[in-house]
Amino acid sequence: MSDPTPNLIATNISKRFGITQALDDVTVSFYPGEVHALMGENGAGKSTLGKILAGLHAQNTGTVVINGRKLIPGSLDDAFHAGIRIVHQELAQCPNLSVAENLCLHDIPTKGMTVDFAEMKRRAAALVHQLDPDIDVSKPLGYLSPGRRQICQIAASLDKNPDGSMIAKVIVLDEPTSSLSISEASILMDITRDLASQGLTIIYVSHRMSEIFTCCDRVTILRDGKFVATNIVSKIDEPTLVEQMIGRRIEALKNKSDNTNQSSSQSIETQALKTQIGTADHPVDLSAEPILKVRNISSPGKLDDCNLDLHPGEVLGIGGLVGAGRSELFDAIFNIDTRAKGSVTIDNTQILGKGIRTAMAAGLGYVPEDRRIQGLFFNLGIDENILAPVMHTMANPLGIRDRATELDAVAKRINRFQIKTASLSQTTPGELSGGNQQKLLIARWMTENTKVLLLDEPTRGIDVGTKSEIYKLIRHAADDGLAILLVSSEMPELLALSDRILVMGDGQIKGQLTEDQMTQTNILTLATQEKTFAQAT
Amino acid sequence: MTKAKNAPPKNPNPPLLKRLLAHQESGLVLVIILIMALLSLYGVLTPPIKQKTLIKLHENATIVRLDTQGNEHEFLAANKIAGYRVTLDGQTTEYSSNTIERYDSADRTLIQVRSVNRFFNKSNLVLIATNASFFAIIAVGMTGVIILAGIDLSVGSIYGLCAIVGAMVLTNLPPETGWYIAVPLALLTCMTVGTICGFANGAMSEGLSVHPFVITLGMMAILRGLTVVIPQGLFGTQSIGGFPTSFTTGFFKAEFYGVYPVLVIIMILTAIAGWFVLSKTVFGRRVFAIGGNETAAKYAGIPVKKVKILVYTITGALCGLSACIYLGYYGAAETNAGNAYELQVIAATVIGGASLMGGRGTVIGAVLGAIIIQLINNTLIIFSVDTSYNQIVMGAAIIIAVVIDQTKQRIQARRA
Repeated sequence: MSDPTPNLIATNISKRFGITQALDDVTVSFYPGEVHALMGENGAGKSTLGKILAGLHAQNTGTVVINGRKLIPGSLDDAFHAGIRIVHQELAQCPNLSVAENLCLHDIPTKGMTVDFAEMKRRAAALVHQLDPDIDVSKPLGYLSPGRRQICQIAASLDKNPDGSMIAKVIVLDEPTSSLSISEASILMDITRDLASQGLTIIYVSHRMSEIFTCCDRVTILRDGKFVATNIVSKIDEPTLVEQMIGRRIEALKNKSDNTNQSSSQSIETQALKTQIGTADHPVDLSAEPILKVRNISSPGKLDDCNLDLHPGEVLGIGGLVGAGRSELFDAIFNIDTRAKGSVTIDNTQILGKGIRTAMAAGLGYVPEDRRIQGLFFNLGIDENILAPVMHTMANPLGIRDRATELDAVAKRINRFQIKTASLSQTTPGELSGGNQQKLLIARWMTENTKVLLLDEPTRGIDVGTKSEIYKLIRHAADDGLAILLVSSEMPELLALSDRILVMGDGQIKGQLTEDQMTQTNILTLATQEKTFAQAT
Repeated sequence: MTKAKNAPPKNPNPPLLKRLLAHQESGLVLVIILIMALLSLYGVLTPPIKQKTLIKLHENATIVRLDTQGNEHEFLAANKIAGYRVTLDGQTTEYSSNTIERYDSADRTLIQVRSVNRFFNKSNLVLIATNASFFAIIAVGMTGVIILAGIDLSVGSIYGLCAIVGAMVLTNLPPETGWYIAVPLALLTCMTVGTICGFANGAMSEGLSVHPFVITLGMMAILRGLTVVIPQGLFGTQSIGGFPTSFTTGFFKAEFYGVYPVLVIIMILTAIAGWFVLSKTVFGRRVFAIGGNETAAKYAGIPVKKVKILVYTITGALCGLSACIYLGYYGAAETNAGNAYELQVIAATVIGGASLMGGRGTVIGAVLGAIIIQLINNTLIIFSVDTSYNQIVMGAAIIIAVVIDQTKQRIQARRA
């Protein structure tokens, strides 16, 4: 299957983003005719490696060599001419233009002064129909299903030399199935295998275990930006791959009952975090009446029949991979997603479908995932950013603000959450560090009136010192009786903070892990499971 | 500039001058002062214009003529009069013949003529402010709309419709109606029509999720059409006049010290109210929050749609207020009233420092912007330039103002 000589070699690749070391001295070789998977947890560096190979990012050190020629780092153009193509979701397509125009956008054929639509259609059809003869290239791209759009993107890479040979040598597929249904995904995997059999190298970035075993020849595992191993798929099993992704010898899921000593199954990192944060003052009483009850919540294309209970003083972690529907679950509970159906109660009061303000009045708070887009007002001062949801409660009946009360409340919160700011009202969030911005948002919602707090990635992109401050704030608030739902992609953080963990995938809750089952392996095993169709069976 | 860089960035009590200069409006005030200084200087260098004022004597007052020695005379040849002494209740006022052209004994009126600077004189300055008032009042509301990252193109048409409907009510009042009936009734009529139109703008763009540009563009045409059709259908005319005098010269065009300041006072009061609402009320801060980051506002539980609809409604109501003072000042309504006002209003707001991207803008800036626009108009009149050039200069002024403002923002952002 694989030729003896590799055609694409990445040597000693390192890449930094700010304070994050995304890739650290990674060396991988790729052979013609193979489907080579890059696998790892969120943030392991698999997508970054794919993008460096395609010239979308420039590596800090290391070289990429294709067929003996060294590529210019970060030059999409150079990689393109060398025959490397990348298909990934962030690369913009124009949904308002036809399939044909999208495929010929880099080189629109003309006849005199006008566009030669016939030639354009002919060229596009020649590309697309290699993969799917049923696609009408004159239709707007936006009318196609996500699967077919993905196919069109791949087809754009399949341009041929006059002699009929493929120009592309390497195609990088970055999470190609993340927005596809199962049947679409399986068509895509067939296409992938077919292209490899024509001699192309396919680099398949994915975190879906089943796909690796269905369509890949070899799989390279990355962890925390470091190379772990390259395996031949037919000679390896799932537990070994999971183990490589997590980095320690652990028992497979089926042997989990053997885990008598739970602390030994947690990584040293998690344990260190736990010691640092401190454990709960008293165990959560799971038999008590839950404060938040979520029943059969579904939302078209996002959530599928999710249920959960949250008790006062409990930190319930929600694990899962990117695109699992965790933020979507929070949006539904907080009534941002107005199409969600089901039931959400706080203290047995129904809040779902009754608007954000009802949810807030019932004691719900939400620190969303992206603080810049969903959280902060960069044109307003720190005081108004913190008080945005409650400013009306501090005003007189005419709506005229009471500055004294406001400033008093802000000063108290800034003090409690240790937000470092030059001034209460003159400083805007843009002048704060990421950590202080995040603390500002937590200060906005962690108030005496909040009974249930939704925290979505509360420590993303902030420094270690502030992270540990936030961990302690979360722990103390829970000890004081606040019920917290926590989404985090950082495993040690999730494991160390949570009293219980639910794992999500494909908009469903895949399973629950109690304290003695909470391990990285169990989370990943649940998260990478196939979609389940409860209704179908 | 270099000095500012070396200074500690967070000085809690910078000197007053520096604090004033740091204000967004300081640049506008400087521009206004500069234009005024230039025009005054031009006025000094060119022959002054003669301004006539009539001084009506009180019925109990007595008047005597003075000669060069200051002796009083009952009658005196015109070429020997050095002045007049007016006595009322034991108080005397003297007028020099330098300024008094003559005394009209039949009307018991002193005719005063003074040579004044052709720009810097009381009536010209008040006239500039008055002309600015009509669209400055609307610009107060437009500031809110633009802070929301919205736009309202229909303000000129709302203004026109309010004026026509208000005029139809006023023209049916008996001529001797008191101001205490005519003024509240006209205000109520005009502002009700404006409120309804503004609410329609907001409710449609929010309810149908259509960009306000489209909704208000449509409304601009619809309302202008109504403004023409209604008076033609009912009266067969293009203009409606004949209001109670208590409404016009009795109130909105009441004379004080030779000028008509009522409109300017209303404009200033509106601006103060707008400033207060935007900076001191929860509603006002919500407007800024939505304009700064609408997604975040939603996640913070701010009732985004309600706030937006209310801002459009208030803008409509202010169009009504402006239309009402227009009726009072001119004593008639034309069907083309407020034509192309949307451009002047948006220009005033933008020159005043509001960002079309939303999240930034001040009412005071918008009013100053309106005054700058009128000053430019006045400049062209004083220099006797054909008024057709107005548009060219105005367009250039808008572009220059915005470019300067954005450059300033970029420099500030780079420093921070």
